[in-house]
Amino acid sequence: MILWGVVGGLVTRRIYLHKDLDTSNSVFVGSMLGAATGPVGLAPLWIKTPEVNKHLMVWPAVGAVTLIAFAFAFADPSNNCVSNGSFVASQITNGIILGIIYGFMALGLTLIFSILGVVSFAHGEFYMIGGMVTYFVTSVWFPGIYPVVGIFAACLVTFALGAAFERMFLTPMYEGKIERPVEYGILVTFGLAFTLQYFIQATVGANPVKARRFFDFPRLRLPSAEDPWLIKTSRGNMELFDTVSISNPRFVAAVACVLVLLSLLYFLHRTWTGKALRAVSLDREAAAIAGINPDRMNMLAFALGGMIAALAGALLVQAFSWLPQVGAIPAMRSFVIIVLGGLGSLPGAFIGGIIVGLVEAAGTGCVPDAQKAASYIPAYGMIVLTLTLLLRPTGLLGRRFSGGAHGKF
Amino acid sequence: MSRQHAPQLAGLVLVAFFAIFPFVYSANDYPYIMHLLITGFFYAILASSWSMLAGYAGQFSFGHMGFTGIGAYTTALFCHYIYISPEATNLCTEYAIGGQFLVFVNPIGVTSSTLTQDCLREALALWDGKVQVTPMPVWLGISLGTIMGGVFGLLIGFLVLPLRAAYLALFTLGFSEILRAAISAEIAITRGQAGIELPYLFDQGITLFGREFDKTDKLPPYFVMFGLLLTCLAILTWLARSKFGLFVRALREDQDAAAALGVNTTRYKVMVFVITSMMAAAAGAVMAHYIRIITPNNLMILQMSLVVAMAVIGGVENVFAAAIGAIIIEFTLELLRNSFEIGPVVVDMTIWRLVIFGIILMVTLRFSRNGIISPLINYFLRGHVAKETVAKRVAGGKSSETSS
Repeated sequence: MILWGVVGGLVTRRIYLHKDLDTSNSVFVGSMLGAATGPVGLAPLWIKTPEVNKHLMVWPAVGAVTLIAFAFAFADPSNNCVSNGSFVASQITNGIILGIIYGFMALGLTLIFSILGVVSFAHGEFYMIGGMVTYFVTSVWFPGIYPVVGIFAACLVTFALGAAFERMFLTPMYEGKIERPVEYGILVTFGLAFTLQYFIQATVGANPVKARRFFDFPRLRLPSAEDPWLIKTSRGNMELFDTVSISNPRFVAAVACVLVLLSLLYFLHRTWTGKALRAVSLDREAAAIAGINPDRMNMLAFALGGMIAALAGALLVQAFSWLPQVGAIPAMRSFVIIVLGGLGSLPGAFIGGIIVGLVEAAGTGCVPDAQKAASYIPAYGMIVLTLTLLLRPTGLLGRRFSGGAHGKF
Repeated sequence: MSRQHAPQLAGLVLVAFFAIFPFVYSANDYPYIMHLLITGFFYAILASSWSMLAGYAGQFSFGHMGFTGIGAYTTALFCHYIYISPEATNLCTEYAIGGQFLVFVNPIGVTSSTLTQDCLREALALWDGKVQVTPMPVWLGISLGTIMGGVFGLLIGFLVLPLRAAYLALFTLGFSEILRAAISAEIAITRGQAGIELPYLFDQGITLFGREFDKTDKLPPYFVMFGLLLTCLAILTWLARSKFGLFVRALREDQDAAAALGVNTTRYKVMVFVITSMMAAAAGAVMAHYIRIITPNNLMILQMSLVVAMAVIGGVENVFAAAIGAIIIEFTLELLRNSFEIGPVVVDMTIWRLVIFGIILMVTLRFSRNGIISPLINYFLRGHVAKETVAKRVAGGKSSETSS
């Protein structure tokens, strides 16, 4: 099956190239069709070489994934995630909840990319700082204060930090003073990440900290107190249908992410500034002609992107223990998500986040050796990244030609 | 002697200085300084090969540390699991070659080291000291590590062919992370975070310049690393000055235009990956034998950021500048490693030095994109060009004045 996938991917591209057709998606279609149907499906594709449309993109992919799932079920029938239905349900729920948070964080990165054309390597550090500020405000400086204040403080700090950094270090990129702006952007944000991480380590120290829970669930027993099969909550946990258990911090974070996402969508689609941001991301020059100052939008985008990462961090500081190095893995995951979703695509980032969340849940739940599965968590995302880059470099919803300073990838 | 020759002269003086230094210097901190220099050379190899990859060829790869890891782990596993024995152990997987047996030790992981012995230890216990097994030669391990680095470089080079800029950086970062995750997870073979131990670079000691050197002496590894650095620099310079360097720079500037002008872009892109990753792997393998333990943490992002920062601060478009930058930064970083007090506040420099370092990196990028050392070299090498142009212009202006 894998063999047919590889053969399909390589040969289909050749054939499309030979017939002088659009090859952009041929690798993807060829490999998926090859993996799902083998030579039976590939032969007509090679002979007819139809134009690649949506159906041809979606169905082979669905088929291939289903086939992999069935193959796995037959190969290892005693596995927990084949035999245990409730385990699967809770893994999927957890995957989706984490995926929402991941996707939210990646949203900030993709916002920055779509407008500045820079992949910010300091995204994980903004996430870390968001968590740190929230922890200090809610647990150290003003214990007992509303957690919302802490989150606001985190947003404020990172917004200011992002804006200042953009003004100081990224402005020469726009004026064509630098030969290779994309590489400059990568390196300078890399330097920022390095500086911020060690600055926090020098001031806060390297001991893990953890904020307390923001708020407790109310005690719920539905439909009745004796037989709470529908929903049962305690202060830190929620159980649905007697099978799926969701911890409080994650649930709160996911709900807050969805709320902020909705307000962000409102901001981007209904306000003048948001529309200006999207206009700049579509076409820089045209936006400038229409009276939008692209430089100001750059600053706003970078600050907003950093703030979104910080918000994710502020919401998750109650769920995980927090270290100066905590940003590395989420940052990496955000890279995976934005490539999977398509660099610069906002809905793509969100869908990509949920997919990556599910893949990680499947990876941790289904790999037989639990200890190894946990060690490999960062690698699952990277495997997704590799496959995406090989099969469909534009990502799920990527624009072929993104505007602005970046043109081609 | 014109100003143009100053950099060459300075280079010669520098090489001579490093060659003589270990014989002249004899202060108390001799081992420490030697260790710093060896580490400095190690980073210099990485920084200069990375500057070939990133500065000349424009491939901003963040997987360079991954290649050092491949080199180091190849030689570590090779020396750890393969032995030559004159007699059959009858316990291990073994192959008879001539009168000797090539023994493959079974991996036992970390926890069981005191409880269960691997098959070779069992066999040795049975023989009771009557049979001596020989470990594999270290140089073979290092060469294998280098070749392995080249193989992976080839693979990665082919995989990243269609990728540019941000995608390339993300992909190589991903490669290095997968590698790290795999090494930490496969505890049974690589011993995970516990790290794997390696034999000394010269296990029997060595006689050099008529002097006996113990296996723990710093001088032989110093010269091995120094020699490797010089070899790498020589290869890189030769490449940069040959057609290869031109092609690769054309790739950096505009890949499509280069292809249109007849540069085999695939070939040169892959080649630059293979060459630089072989250098990284060789450096990693030698360094691993010098430090004698390798853990997955050696592949961490921090290490990669150090290499990137060294190359950038030195000057990413000049392999010598990158190498010198690496040595200087390694020294400054180490010498800043003491804390001091300002009034009641104790400033722990072990961490603050990295903050300062990060700020220097950003400021260098912002205000002097070619680094700090590379403009100096260029000032001497190319300074006359500007002057000559000005002189010509002045002369030309005058001649046109007189003619008119």
